[in-house]
Amino acid sequence: MEKISFYLNGKQVKLAIDPSTRLLDVLRIRLHMTGVKEGCGEGECGACSVLVDGVCYNSCLTPVANVMGKHIVTIEGFRTTKQYRIIADAFADFGASQCGFCTPGMILNAYALLKNNPHPSEEEVRIALSGNLCRCTGYNAIVKAILEIAEKGDIVW
Amino acid sequence: MVNHYIPSSLKEALKVLNNHDCYIMAGGTDLMVVKHQKSGIVPNFDKDVCYISNLKELQYIYEDEQGVHIGAGTKFVDIENSMIVPDLLKQIIHELASPNIRNMATMAGNIANASPAGDSIVGLYLLDAKLELVNVNGSRLVPIEKFILGVRKIARKSNEIIKEIFIPHHDDLNTYWRKVGSRAAESISKVTFAGGYQVEDGVVKDLRMAFGSIGVTCVRDQKIEQKCIGMTVEELHKNIDNILNDMSKNITPITDQRSTKEYRYKVAMNILKDFLNVIE
Repeated sequence: MEKISFYLNGKQVKLAIDPSTRLLDVLRIRLHMTGVKEGCGEGECGACSVLVDGVCYNSCLTPVANVMGKHIVTIEGFRTTKQYRIIADAFADFGASQCGFCTPGMILNAYALLKNNPHPSEEEVRIALSGNLCRCTGYNAIVKAILEIAEKGDIVW
Repeated sequence: MVNHYIPSSLKEALKVLNNHDCYIMAGGTDLMVVKHQKSGIVPNFDKDVCYISNLKELQYIYEDEQGVHIGAGTKFVDIENSMIVPDLLKQIIHELASPNIRNMATMAGNIANASPAGDSIVGLYLLDAKLELVNVNGSRLVPIEKFILGVRKIARKSNEIIKEIFIPHHDDLNTYWRKVGSRAAESISKVTFAGGYQVEDGVVKDLRMAFGSIGVTCVRDQKIEQKCIGMTVEELHKNIDNILNDMSKNITPITDQRSTKEYRYKVAMNILKDFLNVIE
């Protein structure tokens, strides 16, 4: 056990924990952030995506030691922002969420893209989401939703 | 009972490694898959772990007269976005894994993992990359082909760490990259090929060919390359069948869940032929 601290959705968290514990398990089991989903557990599906200092990580592959002192944002923290509202509304308008399991990861990856590149091309959107699998939508609805936001402009980014 | 060490400097990390045989954990994208047990259960490490992901002193890219120096802790995303890294490597990284994994993983980790399907390794073989290994006593520079000994076998001594990847300048080298996988992103390669050439006044001045995923390590045969250097482009094109024949002895793929040896062999040969035809 080691003492490890980081920031979760803006609040400092201090834990006595095995440093190799997957960030995914720390978030879901210890900290009850169940919006972080476990899909494949081996870095292929992106359902466990979280923002670490503003970039997306797969939390299933991240030992908690690697996020010491860093700022983690899960969908629970992100949903209080106006950027979330814009992305979520676009997802609703285009039917970009069906079963919803991939959606937290999709939204965080969409945000990570738009933050750095407010007007991405379709190809750039598809590349940005290439590590997030969705078995319901066939992706087109998700890509269209993000392109719609991109068209609206950089009001919020 | 294994111990976990989270050093706050390279010096401290080297002391840890000098006293303990450790797994060195950088981004975790390979180790955490291999050591994972079940959801909610701590990964199953059978020896101590040393975490280096937070060591800022290993995160840098710079160039000097000799070449480009990449700190071992540098993430793929930063290498991909660098202005000074050779285009070949950036192209390879762009097709490697997924954006999230490129945010987490390091090239030094890709090398140390020593998978026959490690994509960045193929580019590093082609560009004559060297690794700087350090321990408490000092450092040594090892060419990548002397570092990777076999499938998941490397020449790192237990008290050493990769500190830096050094890539000599090859300003006039034209490069070529092909990755064959089941899908565009997140695919573990079936066959990869990196090629490099330089032609001056119709004469081949430099020719390099490196294959990945078709043998226990990356394959680059400098004897075959030397035979081709000095030929005119016309002679090179006339000799394509001979070059393919020479190279075929080095192509020893296996059948696994991703592909068959027959497919890999055929595709590797087709890519090599295409590369040689591109040279002009």
